[in-house]
Amino acid sequence: MLDTARAVPTPEGIELTLRLAGPFARAIAWFIDLGIRAGLLILLSFILLALGRAALGVILIAFFLLEWFYPVLCEVYWGGATPGKKAFDLVVLNDNGTPVTWSTSMIRNLLRAVDFLPFLNGFGFISMLLNREFKRLGDIVAGTVVVYRETKRTHFSLPKEMPLPPPISLSLSEQRAIIGFGERIQQLTPQRAGELAELAQPVVGKAQGDAATKRLLQVANFLIGRK
Amino acid sequence: MKQEQFEALYRSRWNEFSEWLKIAKNKKSHEPLPFPISEFPHRYRVLCQDLALARDRQYSAELCEQLNQWVLSGHQLFYQNKSNEKNKILDFIFGGFAELVRQEAKFVVTGLGLFFVPLITLMIVMQFSPDFIYYLMPPDRVRDMESMYSPENRVLGRARQASTDITMFGFYIYNNIKIGFQTFAGGLLFGIGAIFFLLANGIIIGSIAGHLTHVGYITTFYSFVAGHSALELTAIGLCGAAGLKLGFALIAPGQLSRGQALRQAAQQAVRIVYGAGGMLFIAAFIEAFWSSSRIIPPSVKYAVGIALWVLLICYFLFAGRRRGTG
Repeated sequence: MLDTARAVPTPEGIELTLRLAGPFARAIAWFIDLGIRAGLLILLSFILLALGRAALGVILIAFFLLEWFYPVLCEVYWGGATPGKKAFDLVVLNDNGTPVTWSTSMIRNLLRAVDFLPFLNGFGFISMLLNREFKRLGDIVAGTVVVYRETKRTHFSLPKEMPLPPPISLSLSEQRAIIGFGERIQQLTPQRAGELAELAQPVVGKAQGDAATKRLLQVANFLIGRK
Repeated sequence: MKQEQFEALYRSRWNEFSEWLKIAKNKKSHEPLPFPISEFPHRYRVLCQDLALARDRQYSAELCEQLNQWVLSGHQLFYQNKSNEKNKILDFIFGGFAELVRQEAKFVVTGLGLFFVPLITLMIVMQFSPDFIYYLMPPDRVRDMESMYSPENRVLGRARQASTDITMFGFYIYNNIKIGFQTFAGGLLFGIGAIFFLLANGIIIGSIAGHLTHVGYITTFYSFVAGHSALELTAIGLCGAAGLKLGFALIAPGQLSRGQALRQAAQQAVRIVYGAGGMLFIAAFIEAFWSSSRIIPPSVKYAVGIALWVLLICYFLFAGRRRGTG
């Protein structure tokens, strides 16, 4: 298993796999959020200054809320991610895979004051590089983790071919490799698929290019159990 | 069993489950659920078993990914913690906060001590050695302070050119609550950040108070700060206490690992910060709308200030105590 996958044991006795998000995606997401906060503040300032004198106080309150509560409200009420994170399909979850609650989100965001030191999230970035689960200091204390949200992707199924038993006996990992090839073939060009298929020389024999691809797909169909 | 047979056998119940998830997550949807909620736990466990089988038999990565996705969604729906927020907030205000402060008495006393002792010390020092303030801040700032509280002012406090009460309200919220949050967060650096902020703020406030007392602006200064001093000063001390709790968990985690001790401490410490933040919000309100007004006579302000101090102390000593339990 890749080391950016985090296994979460559940009470049902299985392990869920969460894909951890690295520091660079999170850094860019933070910059995007910074831009959004600045934009909102400027917009609000324009609207309020046009309305009157009391505007300055409201702008200061808005600045305060945007600085400390913008991420908390997004994480608790808007599906676990700020707009910057959503741009990268990131989501904040508790260590056990459940969505964050108020106190967890507050802890993680109040400690941004420490993560921000010495400048531009220095401590936070170093913490993410050193920690095995890419956690910054706020994440470590709050017990949260930032993972990639599983997006709806098209489910690539094996193209149907006439099943053909393999000429040699195959180990389990080799069988998985051949089935995996079949499932990913729609993402490859025919030339590339042919190149890859030719590598499985014991299975496809002397076939080249498209013929090799077809032969390997037939074996895959057999392995997966199609009749 | 081969993967194709496995999928053919269970595809229908997977489809029902994914359909159920889609409808359940979309709050506005009025479509009927494929199966009633009472069946969800059993179906979720069956799906977990399917995932375990697929992984054990090393079926293709696509199938395992898909099942993992469904199980994760089911897990989140099943185990998410959506407690009743409103009741908890009311409980907290009407006694929970006081109880928490009493529970963390060690840290609270240390935090308040680190803040008030320098404050009062500096106030006394200022009376005997008035030039000491120039060690701490430049003469311009001292003059600014004096001009804010000089008896000729129309509006007390930070009288800026075109400021209104709401502007000052916004400023106090932004400034004071930020100081509180930073003091708390500084506690993560093994408590040193919290100690630094507490000492620094205590010294500065004490020296300013002492200097203004020495110069003779007693009525203006004390009638200004009387109203909000109880809430604001105590709140800063409490934020420091919360920060100290974090730092202490790092230094002396006891039987737990440092990470575990930190997480446990943070859950309690952040609740102290909630309460302190609320206190600072109310203090900002008082400071902006009540303290700076010159219409209200100083004796009224003193009375209200003392009353608030007494109320606050009574709250933290007595609120939230349950009768009859040990």
